[in-house]
Amino acid sequence: MSDLAIAAPLRAVQRLPGVAVVLVLLIALFGAIAPGFLSAANLSNVLVQSTILTMLALPMTLIIMTEGIDLSMGAVLTLTSLCVAIVSLATKSMLLGLGAAVLVGTAFGLANGLLVAIAKIPPFVATLATLGMAQGLSLIVSDGQSVVGIPHSVRDVYSAQLLGIPVPILMGVASYGLFHALLYHTRFGTYVFALGGNRDALRYAGLSPTRLLIAVYAIGGLMAGVAGLLMTARMNSGHPTAGLGMEFDAIAAVAVGGTSFERGNGWLLGTLLGVLAVGVLRNGLNLISLPSSVQVASVGVLVIAAMFLDGLRSRA
Amino acid sequence: MTDIAKNAPSPAWSLLSHNAAQLFYRLLAALLICIVLSVLSDAFLSLGNILNVLRQASLTFFIASGLTLVVLTAGLDLSVGANVALSACLAGTVIHQTGSPTLGILAGLLTGGTVGLMNGVMVTAMRIPSFIATYGMLWVLNGVTYWYMAGETIHGFPAGFRQIGSGYFLGLPIPVYLLLVFLAIGTAFAQRTVWGQEIYAIGANPVAARLSGIPVNCRLLLVYTVSGTMAGLASIIFLSRLNSAEADIGESLTLPAIAAVLIGGTSLFGGVGTIFGTFVGALILTLVLNGMNLLSINANWQPLVTGIIVIIAVWLDMRTRRSAP
Amino acid sequence: MKHRTSRSLALALVIAAAATQAHADGETIAVFTKNQTNPFFQTVRVGADNMAKSLNAKILHYIPTKPDSIPEQLSQIEDVVVKKPSAIVFIPVDYKAMVPGVEKINDAKIPVVNITDRSAGGKFVSFIGADDYSLGLETGRFLLKTLGGKGNVVIIEGVKGSLTNVDRVRGFNDALKENPGVKLLASQPGNYQRLQALQVMENLMQSNAQIDGVLAANDAMAVGAIEALDGANRKAQVIGINGTKEAVDAIKSGKLLASGDYNGFAQGCLGTMMAIRSLRGEPVIGEIVLKPTVITKDNYQPFDLSLEQRTCPSFDDASKLSAK
Repeated sequence: MSDLAIAAPLRAVQRLPGVAVVLVLLIALFGAIAPGFLSAANLSNVLVQSTILTMLALPMTLIIMTEGIDLSMGAVLTLTSLCVAIVSLATKSMLLGLGAAVLVGTAFGLANGLLVAIAKIPPFVATLATLGMAQGLSLIVSDGQSVVGIPHSVRDVYSAQLLGIPVPILMGVASYGLFHALLYHTRFGTYVFALGGNRDALRYAGLSPTRLLIAVYAIGGLMAGVAGLLMTARMNSGHPTAGLGMEFDAIAAVAVGGTSFERGNGWLLGTLLGVLAVGVLRNGLNLISLPSSVQVASVGVLVIAAMFLDGLRSRA
Repeated sequence: MTDIAKNAPSPAWSLLSHNAAQLFYRLLAALLICIVLSVLSDAFLSLGNILNVLRQASLTFFIASGLTLVVLTAGLDLSVGANVALSACLAGTVIHQTGSPTLGILAGLLTGGTVGLMNGVMVTAMRIPSFIATYGMLWVLNGVTYWYMAGETIHGFPAGFRQIGSGYFLGLPIPVYLLLVFLAIGTAFAQRTVWGQEIYAIGANPVAARLSGIPVNCRLLLVYTVSGTMAGLASIIFLSRLNSAEADIGESLTLPAIAAVLIGGTSLFGGVGTIFGTFVGALILTLVLNGMNLLSINANWQPLVTGIIVIIAVWLDMRTRRSAP
Repeated sequence: MKHRTSRSLALALVIAAAATQAHADGETIAVFTKNQTNPFFQTVRVGADNMAKSLNAKILHYIPTKPDSIPEQLSQIEDVVVKKPSAIVFIPVDYKAMVPGVEKINDAKIPVVNITDRSAGGKFVSFIGADDYSLGLETGRFLLKTLGGKGNVVIIEGVKGSLTNVDRVRGFNDALKENPGVKLLASQPGNYQRLQALQVMENLMQSNAQIDGVLAANDAMAVGAIEALDGANRKAQVIGINGTKEAVDAIKSGKLLASGDYNGFAQGCLGTMMAIRSLRGEPVIGEIVLKPTVITKDNYQPFDLSLEQRTCPSFDDASKLSAK
């Protein structure tokens, strides 16, 4: 967690967003009443469980900042996860599997970008259609069955540790670092802000919003490819429905994290906090064994509460 | 989600004629699918199948028509499917316990409307973006429904009640009449009433709408309540047509309903679109599914085929619209 | 601010109450099922609760909030391993993808009983289940026998990619192979949803003038198909799978020909029984494969009882079941 303290700029502290309040409250609550919640093993659990979603929610933040959305991400994750399984099964190489997944993921991201930026199809519709395509391809390449028997090098990605820290956490932290640098410390990041808030300014500056937009969606596909490796490693198999629906988790995390759907207001750290808040909630509720239907409702209440707190703050 | 420059207020008549041109091209897309299907399958053009498609499209349309009003205000309602599930389960229980279909129908509509109203309150009074408020609502409703139903199914309803969804009148299925009635009411409300035009205005430019004295929050509350009530209506049709309900019936209803609205040409940025367009959108989606069944396309390929056809339909529509005078 | 404080307080109280409740005495058994919506898993849960009550143990249910979600069940396993229940009764949402999760349970040295779907890996105290393949095969055979080995049939499949669907449909198809006189007109997806099955059936009736039999991969879809047939005033023999209350009612009234059942209630009972017996050092049965029952008009009575009225099989019954 220490990376958060370093990465968080001072203005983030001043904003005291709803999601941070909710996260702190949840941790305090479960720390007090859920046995084993604050153990190192459990905290590392929560972080590891949150990595795949983090890797989807980070690029989703950029996409939403451009007033777009990517509904295909969960289905593309499913497809890339199958790619990892199938290719690594055939070649015995984890890296080739990852390569194939990144390639397929990026191709889908590019396709989304082209549909949105060039064909001018509304992002919601375009990515809904590519969702169907990715889901269909997943069924076709796997013939609707699980892919098993993949090399151990793949599953090791999920269970391995480096300097005592699980590799997935390191990958999550690295992804966050990269996206943070990309969004706040490069010109590309500035353009992304402009894409949402002020597209005309980009045109006046002689930049092509089209190419930037395509790049943003392509990054989303690429990250779905990398996350596909983690997904396959986690299940030690590929499965044609594994990631379906995760796009909405990612979108919720982004929104709860304070990125607004209008005018290019993005907050990357908020997204991370949003992912963690949902992760902590689910983990804590599992530990205290509330009925499952209460768990379902709590996710909704959390989302609404975080947004409501945000609304109160912005009015104050 | 509104870009003021893009959606400069336009006089009502130009809005209508613009919409008419759009609709023409969208109908063309539906027609194209029909022609292809009638060549590929001789069963397609039978009267029976056309009524069949219309009846199937009706359920999607009921949900999507209320949703269209929400989308016209630049909002979104992701909770419609979960709302249908809860409303159906409550309505079913009421019918079972009171023996009165009328009370059951009231319960279904009331549940749907109340959920819609709560969405409206979250969007207006609590100022939560609709996308996220209704997404949260989706989870809350699912939790309540799972808890309420505890894995059970409610089934077996009186024959009179069953007529609503599965009966015929003068050779036409009753849901088709309902579809036509709500299509007419919805279109008249959106195009011909002051409130309807105010909803367009709110979507096109909420600030200007507020400044010109439109009670924006009241209209938004109305729109979400209508959307919820239509989900309640859909739940009644579902119950009477399927003769049973369980907790997971809503899951597969939301995305097709949203897709119908968007394929029908309503813009997520608000202010542009028609109820009739949504009807055509629902029709296109139903036709694709109908065609795949008639042609017995391998189940593995169906999501891919649907995706490709949606893209082609929307893209053709966008192109023809741009080249239109 | 006052509102928020009181609300958080109420929430805290509720959660604290639930937390203390979870620490009753007796063994705690964590039961994993696939979803909260399918009646089959409800019968499993009620069976487990019944058995635990009679053996004075405590059951905790873990169900993915998104039906059949693989990542979510994996997370729940990781969370439960932290919590360390006495034993686990486990239905994998996917028998292959959940193997790493089972290995985590094994590593934590928590005894685990596998029920319903046989996991492709990991170590189990016992396996109690049935296989979907023979369920599909037997129920399919019954339909085809009723049709006299000839006629036109359609298959309505469940969710593509789910194990239950793959095996049930494979069973259906093998039953069809034994009856070359029967023609398979179409095999289309209804995603285990009654509305989708109804629409698929309506569409298939348009392109096929004569359909004599419908093989649906679960009861909800079978009942959906019956509604479609009724709506068109057509008749066909329909079978489903799961033996739900609704299906039994439809069998009673003659609308549904048969429903294949593999007794989720008994699986829940026996799984819990084996888990507790192994904790108490009593002998357990390593494997019980329940014979699929084809529920028909002639034998539906025992399935017509509400869940609360059913009683768990005893250990002696279980030994007899395993002998089959």
